Amino acid sequence: MKTILFTIIFALVSITGFSQSSEYYQAMGESLGGYSNCKTADDFRALGNRFERIAQAETDQWLPLYYHAHCNIIAAFIETDAAKKDAILDLVEKSMNRMIELASDEADVFALQAMFYTARLVVNPMERGQKYGMLSDQAVGRALGIDPTNPRARLIKLQNEMGSAQFYGKDTKVYCDEAGQLLANWDNFKPKSPLYPDWGKDQVVGIVKSCK
Amino acid sequence: MIFAASKRETMKIFVSLLFILATIQLTAQTTITGTIKAKGEGPLPGANIYLKGTYDGVSSDDNGNFNFKTQKTGSYTLMVEYIGFESFAKELLLDGTNINLPIELKETFNKLEAVTITAGVFEAGDKKRANTLSSLDMITTAGANGDAFGALQTLPGTTTVGESGRLFVKGGDSDESKTYIDGALVHTPYNAAAPNTSTRGRFNPFMFKGNIFGTGGYSAEYGQALSSVLLLNTNDMPSEDQYDVSLLTIGPEVAATKLWKTGAVTATLGYQNLGPYMRLVPQNFSWNHAPESASGAVSIRQKTRKSGMLKIYSSYDASNFIIGQLDLDQNKMLDYSLKNNNFFVNTSWITAIGANRMLTTSASFTNNEDRVAYDTIRFDKKLKGFHFKQVVTKEVGSRITLKAGAEWMNSYTQQTFMSQAAHFSNSYTNNTLAGFAEAEIYASTKFVTRIGARVEYNDYLGRANFSPRITAAYKLNKISQVSIAYGWFFQNPSDDYLFYTNTLDYERANHYILGYQSVRRDRTFRAEVYYKDYSNLAKQTNGEFYLPGTYNNNGSGYAKGFDLFIRDKQSIKNGDYWISYTYLDTQRDYRNYPEMAIPTFASKHNLAVVYKHWFGQIRSYVGINYKYSSPRPYNNPNSNEFNGERMPAYQTLDISWSFLYKPNIIFYAAINNVPGFKQEFGRRYANAPDDSGVYRSTGIIPGSDRFFILACFITFTKKGDQNQMDKIQ
Repeated sequence: MKTILFTIIFALVSITGFSQSSEYYQAMGESLGGYSNCKTADDFRALGNRFERIAQAETDQWLPLYYHAHCNIIAAFIETDAAKKDAILDLVEKSMNRMIELASDEADVFALQAMFYTARLVVNPMERGQKYGMLSDQAVGRALGIDPTNPRARLIKLQNEMGSAQFYGKDTKVYCDEAGQLLANWDNFKPKSPLYPDWGKDQVVGIVKSCK
Repeated sequence: MIFAASKRETMKIFVSLLFILATIQLTAQTTITGTIKAKGEGPLPGANIYLKGTYDGVSSDDNGNFNFKTQKTGSYTLMVEYIGFESFAKELLLDGTNINLPIELKETFNKLEAVTITAGVFEAGDKKRANTLSSLDMITTAGANGDAFGALQTLPGTTTVGESGRLFVKGGDSDESKTYIDGALVHTPYNAAAPNTSTRGRFNPFMFKGNIFGTGGYSAEYGQALSSVLLLNTNDMPSEDQYDVSLLTIGPEVAATKLWKTGAVTATLGYQNLGPYMRLVPQNFSWNHAPESASGAVSIRQKTRKSGMLKIYSSYDASNFIIGQLDLDQNKMLDYSLKNNNFFVNTSWITAIGANRMLTTSASFTNNEDRVAYDTIRFDKKLKGFHFKQVVTKEVGSRITLKAGAEWMNSYTQQTFMSQAAHFSNSYTNNTLAGFAEAEIYASTKFVTRIGARVEYNDYLGRANFSPRITAAYKLNKISQVSIAYGWFFQNPSDDYLFYTNTLDYERANHYILGYQSVRRDRTFRAEVYYKDYSNLAKQTNGEFYLPGTYNNNGSGYAKGFDLFIRDKQSIKNGDYWISYTYLDTQRDYRNYPEMAIPTFASKHNLAVVYKHWFGQIRSYVGINYKYSSPRPYNNPNSNEFNGERMPAYQTLDISWSFLYKPNIIFYAAINNVPGFKQEFGRRYANAPDDSGVYRSTGIIPGSDRFFILACFITFTKKGDQNQMDKIQ
């Protein structure tokens, strides 16, 4: 009798346990699928909300925080009102800091931080250019220090360099080779799991296209 | 029955129980619906609604409605989150019964968004989003050529006084304005200059990350200033090791910055000599030794524990010149020679003490020496000034900030006058002890008041004063607000008098300010009406200057008027402009005035238009600025009417151009007074009438009709792409 009871309880516990983790995979998978339907800033904010919900339920996972930050950074880029941009980025900063605490050995974490600083910069390039340009470069440097092959870190570095070249009226064509190489090697980089960041290829394709 | 049941039956019951349980878990679905609204306002789309600790939740739709299902049963917390609003939490019992919740969110109390005190305050810095002027603007204004005081003279409330270059605010004399660096008093903020020539600030404006310019009604923290305070805040930690080389037509400057983990040091050396420039460009004055100066400065930053920061700045500079001046009594050119040595140390330390409490300690020391030789006369003036201040700031909740502090100001002033006939030396020491307390209270995001008071005691005058200050601001709607300010302000009479008497009382001004401000995105509009009531102003009567009885506090005066300010960074793509206008109506009876009169530094109408444009294709930043001040009075001793003459209106049009040649190399060129507007600042008269009974005179004019400057700024870092763009954009 006792044995049966224990078995049942054990089974129940393990089932719930299992379902918890499968629920995580399922929720993350579904939410990641949501990217393809996002167009407006509100769409990205709503998707960010989904990741935020996962993040608060799974307090030791950094990926939901990563995507929450990522969605909102994109929303901040799309948003046109400067004060709103900053308000969204204030929110991002919280996720960003928690994410860095959880996963300070992930190159993608700092690549995203670089993107965050660039988003702060574009709110007011004239006044923030120097400070945030430098912070963004430093974050990219840190990402590449962890993993020199991380394609998103390389992409953001390339974008920063091209942006600066454009600003100084230099020819951006010198970066075409690098973009070509980045694209050619893109698929060689294997994310550690299907939930790991895997975006950016489209942007490189765009850069390569503009070179032709 | 059950008790008698066989093992098998018990098993059956268990299995069915389990089955029932499982079914309940599968079917006990609760639907939660509702709407999210901002308190007192419309629906909030995009709010995040979820059950804490679960994956169940949804975002609110365009109408603020939400709807989601959950399989969870039992007690859970429903959370609602939205940017700019306080999180909402509610315990729910989930048992399959549908739940409908109308939810109202409260706006977060955010000081950045809340109403701010703006009466009499111009704040520049990167912290606040709705800046009227950013710290960058302070140093990029055409015409100022990197002089912070020059740039401030494009703000409303100021009057440009070309023969002085100092700050004159809302009908106040220049010594009614005080300058502070990181909280400590700067005794000698201006460079030494010849009589009737324009001076500049002593400090490189690139040292500062921001500033607050109080043109009236300022905090009880600041005393000994009747009309304005300028609070300069120095930069925090530099970002990396770097070397800067600046080559200007007036001389070079080099700087090196070295970082360590928790601190940094910057050393600067500069040399200026206007000689070569003055040989190229025609000058109105005859210089026998062009202005020359050598300066060195060391600045240290050290992080201390508990997020503290220690800042030390120390500088030494020596300057000298000899200018030929027409002596109207002797009717011949005489040399006026000046040698100035200035040593200055400024330190500040900010540290947390306990929760929500900050302690700021600041101190400064100045040793300044001027040695003047004119004809057969020598005149030396020495000043040793010391200031120490401690301020404790405490946050009580998010809505109340309490501030209290104490300070000690000490100065020793000595002047020596030597001629063939006489030798006088006078000196005096005075100590001012002061304490203040102030509370800033947010009743809501819409209404804030700051109430404070200050007590001072000066041992030389043997008198105390008490100054209450109050200011309040009310937000009318999302973009606009009104502010008021009222306060009493006290200041010691001028050194010139205190050498000979200690029986004088403090000079006093009462400020009344009413202001309106609206900020819509990148457009700012400000309007301010002010009234200042001066009393107890020190006067010099006809008695001998060395007798105490010659001086009294019978002077008085008033200043009233209004300011308008428009800043627009939005309407013109890549363009940015501001317009300031000040109307000033003032009269005073002070110093040696025989009666109430408009003082010589007061212009009725003051206008400044500043425009900046970024030309991306040629990587150039072009600034243009126009200023106008209506005629000011001056006194003609040949006339019976005191201050009855009017000098011509002042006008200038300045242009500056910065070119980003390479990421680390910038070229800069500027011309002041491009059209060559004729500028004259009244007339200078002989001390005594000539044989025909007339006081001879000569016009007071600027050193040259136009001023040019060319510069190149180079920065070396490891990465090679830092620049001094923030210096001259």
